[in-house]
Amino acid sequence: MTANGTTNGAALIELVGVHKHYATGEADVHALRGIDLEIAAGELVAVVGPSGSGKTTLMELLGCLSRPSTGSYRLRGEAVDALSGDELARVRGREIGFVFQAFNLLPRLSLAENVALPLLYQGAARRERNQRALRALERVGLAHRATHRPNQVSGGERQRAAIARALVTDPPLVLADEPTGNLDTQRGREILDLLFEMNASGATVVIVTHDPEIAARARRRIEIRDGAIEHDLAQVAR
Amino acid sequence: MTRRRPIALRESLREAWRLLRAQPLRTALTLFGLIWGTAAVIFLVSWGRGLQSMMEVAFARAGKNMVFVFADKAKEDFSPAADRRYLWFIAEDVAALRRRAHLAELVAGETSLFRIGSFGGRSASLNIRGVEPENFAIRGVQLAEGRAISRADATLRRRVAVIGGTAQRKLGARVGDWIRLDGTPFLVIGRLARVGTQLARDGPLIDEQIWVPLSTHQVRWHNPLVADDVIDLILLRMRDKRLLEASQSEARAILAERLRVSPDDDEALRMFSPEEVLRTIPLDQQGVLYVLIGGTTLAIGGIGILALMLDAVRERRREIGVRLAVGGRPRDVLVQFFLESTLLFALGGALGVSLGAGGALVLGSAALRNNLAPELRDLVPIPELSLGVIALALGVMALVAVVAGVVPAWRAMKIDPALTLRAD
Repeated sequence: MTANGTTNGAALIELVGVHKHYATGEADVHALRGIDLEIAAGELVAVVGPSGSGKTTLMELLGCLSRPSTGSYRLRGEAVDALSGDELARVRGREIGFVFQAFNLLPRLSLAENVALPLLYQGAARRERNQRALRALERVGLAHRATHRPNQVSGGERQRAAIARALVTDPPLVLADEPTGNLDTQRGREILDLLFEMNASGATVVIVTHDPEIAARARRRIEIRDGAIEHDLAQVAR
Repeated sequence: MTRRRPIALRESLREAWRLLRAQPLRTALTLFGLIWGTAAVIFLVSWGRGLQSMMEVAFARAGKNMVFVFADKAKEDFSPAADRRYLWFIAEDVAALRRRAHLAELVAGETSLFRIGSFGGRSASLNIRGVEPENFAIRGVQLAEGRAISRADATLRRRVAVIGGTAQRKLGARVGDWIRLDGTPFLVIGRLARVGTQLARDGPLIDEQIWVPLSTHQVRWHNPLVADDVIDLILLRMRDKRLLEASQSEARAILAERLRVSPDDDEALRMFSPEEVLRTIPLDQQGVLYVLIGGTTLAIGGIGILALMLDAVRERRREIGVRLAVGGRPRDVLVQFFLESTLLFALGGALGVSLGAGGALVLGSAALRNNLAPELRDLVPIPELSLGVIALALGVMALVAVVAGVVPAWRAMKIDPALTLRAD
């Protein structure tokens, strides 16, 4: 894979004319209004924009956690909106690592078990799951916390465990939705370093953020407002 | 598209078990509800069924369609003659009933008094009854050993005795022994099977009585001031339970005529039917009561489990979202929830059935009952297990477990994982 190319090779992500509506009670929320977007393999993209602009909805679409109301989404050339529920599950498990703002670790499982969860659904054997989960925890510096429950570790450690869960399957695409939103600056920087590291080792990384510093470190910055892309800037500086 | 191999059942079971253990309090509460509900309904219904059987046996013991008639004093205003103030029956009264009382199936006279019985070095005051062969049938008493009193015993006025179990123990005499009753030797020809507590009785328990032929009794202990063939008590077995009142009126009319008292004189002729007395106790409804209590317990248990598990699933909507987000297929997650509740149900159901059925079996076991005092044994029914009830209890619990465990998960799964994850 190319390490830092912006547009070389086929697009990993290709959104054309994507709209997303939600029916919340009586109100119909038009969260995304015609998004056209291409992201090439190996990119590191920051998505910025005010609250309610549709950033999270976009991330959910990219992560195959929901489908576009209209428009098409191709991931690695494959039309996602045509996939069955099971096939979508496979894509989520194999192709995508998702890091949530709220960590979303299962409170009743240990960190190692949480990290091993994607492997469970891939049908990996127990021993292999344990080994890979431990290795992933080592990569984020949490091997010593493997048997702790999420509520027994700090917020930063929880988010690092969540990142370990996202990278345990070595996914080509990592999506992080405000991964530092619940953390202080120091812990946030650690998380960010991890995401950049993953990008350096080949993964395409998309980060939703409020933090201008993070946005400044990304090579490409997409600004969203009212469900549409306002600016799409490639940056030279890191 | 590469096919993924499904998660092994063993994996899913292990996962379900781990999740149950990770939430010990909730698991324990749910299990308790399951166990309690299942055990209680099984035990209570078994108990109720046992109680009903016990009551039926008690009915049979009390003598089916049996009516006692005692002669007492004529009421002053009805008495036609001063010398008939005190009334008694004689053999001819019994014979008249046999001839004329068509609603009576069996008629028998009985005499009763207390005398000293002795055997070997022992003696005891005993209730000695003069009976006819019909008395055995009317009172529904079986023989434990030996033979009953026969027509020939009556005709020949034999000095033979059939002895109740308690009386037998008091004297220590066996069938074939000669005992003395009021000094006179009697041959023990039989022993009555244990009757135990009688729901209605006239005098001491049958187990404490000694039965001899009525004719022998009348001759040996006759009152020269009254008559040779005095009878203290007439026993009737009526043909039809539904005609119990009409049968009694018929018998009363015949006896009133013979004793020259008014048929309306309820002091002169005291009639008494154990079954009529028992009918005032709603025995049949007791079984229903236990089913009701059992059913309510089951329902409460079920609702408790439902509430606990529904709550748990609501709390776990996010978990469903996370599992889907990291590559779980909806079916994988559903299977896991299903296994979790099935595992819980299997554990609780197995323990509940063991407890309920086990309790019923222990209570009904010979080992325990033989250690109970005989009086207590008559009060504690032998619970009767029914497969139907076990199946019903398990069925309801299984339904509850599956509905509570799977339906909410299934509903959560029909929407996008994104919405499940956003829900707070």
